[in-house]
Amino acid sequence: MVIKYSELVIKHFKNPHNVGTIENPDASATEGSPACGDQLTVYLKVNPETQLIEDIKFQSYGCASNIATASIITDLALGKTLEQAKGITWKQAADELGGLPPIKMHCSVLAVDALRSAIKNWEHKHLGKEIDDSLNKKNIVKELQKVIYGKIGVDIVSLKLLKYIGVGEKNNVLLEIAVKKDDPFLDDVKHEINERLEKFPDIASVKISLV
Amino acid sequence: MSGKEVYLDSCKTSRLAPEVLNAMMPYLTGKYWYPGSFTSIGTEVAEVIEKAQETVANSLNAKPEEITFTSGGTDANNIAIQGILQANKEKGRHFICSTISHPSVLAVFQGLEKQGFEGTYISANKDGYINLEELKAAIRPDTILAAFTHVNHILGTIQDSKTIRNILDQADHKIYLFMDSCEAYTKIPIDVEELGIDSLSISAHKFNGPKGMGILYVKKRTEIIPTQFGIVRLYKLKPGAINVPGIVGTAKAVEMAFSDFDKQFERYRKLQALLYDEIIKRIPDTVLNGPPIGERSPTHLNVTFRFIEGEAIMMMLDFDNIHVETGSACSSRNLQPNYILMNTGRTHEESHGSVRFTMDRFVTKEDIIKTVDALEKTAKELRRRSPLGKKEQ
Repeated sequence: MVIKYSELVIKHFKNPHNVGTIENPDASATEGSPACGDQLTVYLKVNPETQLIEDIKFQSYGCASNIATASIITDLALGKTLEQAKGITWKQAADELGGLPPIKMHCSVLAVDALRSAIKNWEHKHLGKEIDDSLNKKNIVKELQKVIYGKIGVDIVSLKLLKYIGVGEKNNVLLEIAVKKDDPFLDDVKHEINERLEKFPDIASVKISLV
Repeated sequence: MSGKEVYLDSCKTSRLAPEVLNAMMPYLTGKYWYPGSFTSIGTEVAEVIEKAQETVANSLNAKPEEITFTSGGTDANNIAIQGILQANKEKGRHFICSTISHPSVLAVFQGLEKQGFEGTYISANKDGYINLEELKAAIRPDTILAAFTHVNHILGTIQDSKTIRNILDQADHKIYLFMDSCEAYTKIPIDVEELGIDSLSISAHKFNGPKGMGILYVKKRTEIIPTQFGIVRLYKLKPGAINVPGIVGTAKAVEMAFSDFDKQFERYRKLQALLYDEIIKRIPDTVLNGPPIGERSPTHLNVTFRFIEGEAIMMMLDFDNIHVETGSACSSRNLQPNYILMNTGRTHEESHGSVRFTMDRFVTKEDIIKTVDALEKTAKELRRRSPLGKKEQ
């Protein structure tokens, strides 16, 4: 199969919109890390009265689709209310770019994740909303919905590759996933799961079994 | 894309030299015959093939009958590795290779492991040299074959075949040495006798020869059995149809490479030094991957550009019609960083920003300057977009 970028991805990569930082932003968030791959930081300026996103900027350490998806989600979010911006999905961002190759869909997830985290950061700072990072099955599923199976370009929860979640008394997490041991994307899926679950401060360990 | 094409990815493949195409053309058209005896057309082709074998043999200090033309480097790897191990399996089933071997060689060994063969994988240091102490320790009474990548395709490291041979000779039985010389051949001198190599593989399309052509060298008296079966027209190890135009083209590419080998070697060294010096001079925060310039393959350079990602660099250069390769996970088929960079102690981040430049005889000084101009512009722009490295810059 030919893996190539759409013209819109190329356009946004060549000339991305909203690149840079905001001096004294009202909120910001960074997702991903150089130790694991791509990293994206989103900065927000939000009108406290109307909760409209008045300015949004991003910085990306990533590939062409990482930069293009960051460009498009910042375009989509600019001028929207926080509630509206929260509704932007990674599928929508990919569609707006004329589609992404399945192996690149995780870039769109990272972009949307950074936007949503920046909004959460604003709500925490300005509305006092607590960030719920407690270790429970519901929150684990939420995080695993961001783990994309690169062969198909869909998350492992929607694909029903996630078969079981167990959280032990000592916060040891056991996951069962239906990925074959010789699957070329197994290492990536494991890597992504571990990266996602690292976000839970209380987590003691993660064990991934193949079923 | 704009401007003249600059192609710095000969390690992946290279353009067919016009002289090679010209040499092949008669055998793709009027002289479509097979080699044979007695007849005018059969003997003419037989002589051409004999001459092709001589040309290749001379370039390696081998004998013509030790040369087999194959359908590529992978084909040659399979015939040699499987053939030697299968022929000797009553004596032992152990082989030695390295964690930074080419994937086409590792794949053969992985296949053999499923058939009951057992491997020891030698690690390498940060410059890509295999650990010789580990090699000594890995040798067992049932070790049949040691196989290494002559010039590492990612790092440009030249493995010291002679020293490896000496270590293997310390065993009290014969251990065959196979070198995957696909990236080494025509780039560094190879004398199979002097280096003590029993078998090696070569790929023609990496030195301006035709695609789908390889060369296998197997030293006389090597215990090897065929692993492919069919009508033996020329080679018992490679039965089936004979690609006469491919053989002629390969021999022509070999002839060209060795007609001015020393001159090209010096030219490559100068271009390599120019590329690296200009990068270092004009672009901050870079890391050289692999051995120092004078020590590595003369056609090879691998540099990490910190704080930015390799696929993005590769794409930016592509817009300027400059073609390179990256070890970034983003550019791989399974989203994993390059295993050779990781197995030689590079971090994920260093692998992420790595770019490989490999040259062939068509690369010019102007190409190098154009590439560095584009790299400087690209690094500046991508670093403007990057959240990393701001304090350091």
